[in-house]
Amino acid sequence: MSAPASSAPATRPVVPPGATLESPAPLPMVDQPAVPFIEIETLRSKEFIPAAKEALGSLIVEQGQTKVVRPVFNWAGRNSLFPLHWGLACCAIEFAAAFGARWDAERFGVVPRSSPRQCDVMIVNGTVTWKVAHKLITLYEQMPEPKWVIAMGNCATGGGPFRTAYSVVPGVDKLVPVDVYIAGCPPRPEAMLDGILELEKLIRERKE
Amino acid sequence: MSEMWINMGPQHPMTHGLWNLRVLIDGEMIVDVDPEMGYLHRGIEKISEDRHYNEVITLMDRCCYVAGFAWEHLYIIASEEALHLEPPERAQYLRVLCDEFQRIASHLMWYAAFVQDLGLMSPFLYGMRDRDLVLDLFQSYTGARMTYEYMRVGGVRSDLPPGFTDHARKVLDWLTDRFVEYDQLCLGSDIFRKRCDDLGTLKATDCVTHGVTGPMLRSAGQKRDLRKDRPYAVYDQLEFDVALADSADVTGRYLVRMEEMRQSVRLLRQVLDWLDRHPGPVLADRLPRWLGAPYAPVGKEGYLLKRNYPKGVGFSAVEEPHGEAQAYVVNEGGEHPYRVKFRSPVFANISAARQYLVGYHVADIPPIMGSVDVCVGEVDR
Amino acid sequence: MEPVDLTAALGPVLGDRLLGVEAFPRSAGRIRFERSGALDLFRAVRDSLGFRHLSMVGGIDWTDHREVFYVVWSDDRREYLFLSTDVPADDPHVESASGIWPSANWHEREAWELVGIEFDHHPDLRHLLTPDGYEFRPLLRSFKLHEPEELEVKTRHV
Repeated sequence: MSAPASSAPATRPVVPPGATLESPAPLPMVDQPAVPFIEIETLRSKEFIPAAKEALGSLIVEQGQTKVVRPVFNWAGRNSLFPLHWGLACCAIEFAAAFGARWDAERFGVVPRSSPRQCDVMIVNGTVTWKVAHKLITLYEQMPEPKWVIAMGNCATGGGPFRTAYSVVPGVDKLVPVDVYIAGCPPRPEAMLDGILELEKLIRERKE
Repeated sequence: MSEMWINMGPQHPMTHGLWNLRVLIDGEMIVDVDPEMGYLHRGIEKISEDRHYNEVITLMDRCCYVAGFAWEHLYIIASEEALHLEPPERAQYLRVLCDEFQRIASHLMWYAAFVQDLGLMSPFLYGMRDRDLVLDLFQSYTGARMTYEYMRVGGVRSDLPPGFTDHARKVLDWLTDRFVEYDQLCLGSDIFRKRCDDLGTLKATDCVTHGVTGPMLRSAGQKRDLRKDRPYAVYDQLEFDVALADSADVTGRYLVRMEEMRQSVRLLRQVLDWLDRHPGPVLADRLPRWLGAPYAPVGKEGYLLKRNYPKGVGFSAVEEPHGEAQAYVVNEGGEHPYRVKFRSPVFANISAARQYLVGYHVADIPPIMGSVDVCVGEVDR
Repeated sequence: MEPVDLTAALGPVLGDRLLGVEAFPRSAGRIRFERSGALDLFRAVRDSLGFRHLSMVGGIDWTDHREVFYVVWSDDRREYLFLSTDVPADDPHVESASGIWPSANWHEREAWELVGIEFDHHPDLRHLLTPDGYEFRPLLRSFKLHEPEELEVKTRHV
């Protein structure tokens, strides 16, 4: 999404000499981007796209592209997290239970996908062994940016009860960067949902 | 047409775990298969050599994470034999209670995952819903949903909370009604029957030759159940029937597991009645101190036992929800087992994959492997 | 089936390669045999005694020697039977049972890679649980567990 070049008005703000390009006061993080109010009839009409284009375009010009578009992307991204559908060990059962009738993780927009190309979260739900390590890295690299990793359970966090075993990676952060750690052996489904909400907070504050 | 190998796994919705089914296909036909295991090999047998007897129970829960109680029981029988200990009778009944509820929970988990593989979404929700009711019972007396650490060498950790048996009976009543619904959902569905009948056939003789046990063997008409053949705990004092089918295919395995759940309900009602009538201790009262018993003799006697504990070996075999599991514990004196060896039923069931997969289509793999009920934790250990 | 019956049934087949039959918990007994008589014993146990189901094969490291044990089950007798043989640690060879009981295939692969028992004439002796090329035998007593950081080099996939 970018502002059309032709709509750039002549009143482009001039950066005074010596000032930094970044705004000194950070924009408060809000759920919705600060777009001008649009009548509901307009949303239904054919003029919606031109109107939105115009409104957003001028806003982008006023405040800079990142600050307007980024909250929209963050808002959309964090409400439709697609974790990779795979089960490593015990935590995978609780992972599945979270999608059952009692917890229903899909109400948070979390839908497991079977292909890493459709995913943006990898939930490492179990013990990672050295034998699967390079396959885990391959799957992580197949996921498109932006992507996050949740280490679910003590095994993925630090090896858990199998830390001293000869075949176990003592924590998945030795292989891929981890954003959220969930404690528990295994964590209850509530704990997994809490981890998802923590990740949503991280995404909300994402800037670049 | 030329043949080619394809990998189904380690990340594949069919696998229900971390393993790789390498399939040689000719068009749509399966020519050969080569399961590749070990992605979850956590060295449980090696770590056990470094742990106290009761600390190994922690690993047993995680060894087979859908049937933790069955594996605890398996290990406990073998170690009690190796350590020459005898549990109180009430503990035996409590173990059977755990085992049978675990069988229901494991089969419900299987039902949820297997039927979802066939494309029916609602059984997944029903199965998980009812499994959670059983897990709530576990939680009320062990504090955990899946990893219980409840059994102890010489008994069990604690007794049931007040009011448990009445609550458990209500759950059993609820489940009994739901089993009827499950059958209507699956057996009444033409799609289910067409995808499962005459699929993945494995005759009883092949089962025996290739070491296949459990519901797969019983679905071929062979009446073999360790709870009847070599009764452990108090199974010889309880009444139940061995679930059998004769079609030896995916539908047969479905029928056997459904009937096993009904028989488990029958067993559980007897166990609950017994537990109501017979209060008593749940842990043997003369345990060596290092076994961590709360009222073990401390001081001189405890240390004496620690030093001069007699050597011994223990062997046990239990009918786990997946089949026949075995444990072999070698006690060379001292606080740690010298060697622990487990036999996983799924390990043998998967090793026979060539027998029941070759000749079918690629699209038949999810129902067939789903009917095997793979739990990778116990295969790789 | 009592140990006496087992001795009577297997003695003529094995001769002095039958080292003894002892009582063993929850089974008909444990047969200790010389490893050169492995195949003869397996055939006799399967065909004349009817133990058609092999449950597991495993190895134990006794530091000076290694033990290979087999657990078999008979559907007619409803009994387990233990078979056990000792192999020297510097020459841990024994004949593979997978020609007699096909289910021995994977169990022997596991015993080979974890305990280092070499099974002769095994159809498919590859790594099963550990990665290909893994050169350690973790279930030997000489293999010590350390903190993972020290062990990382030892365990990394090659």
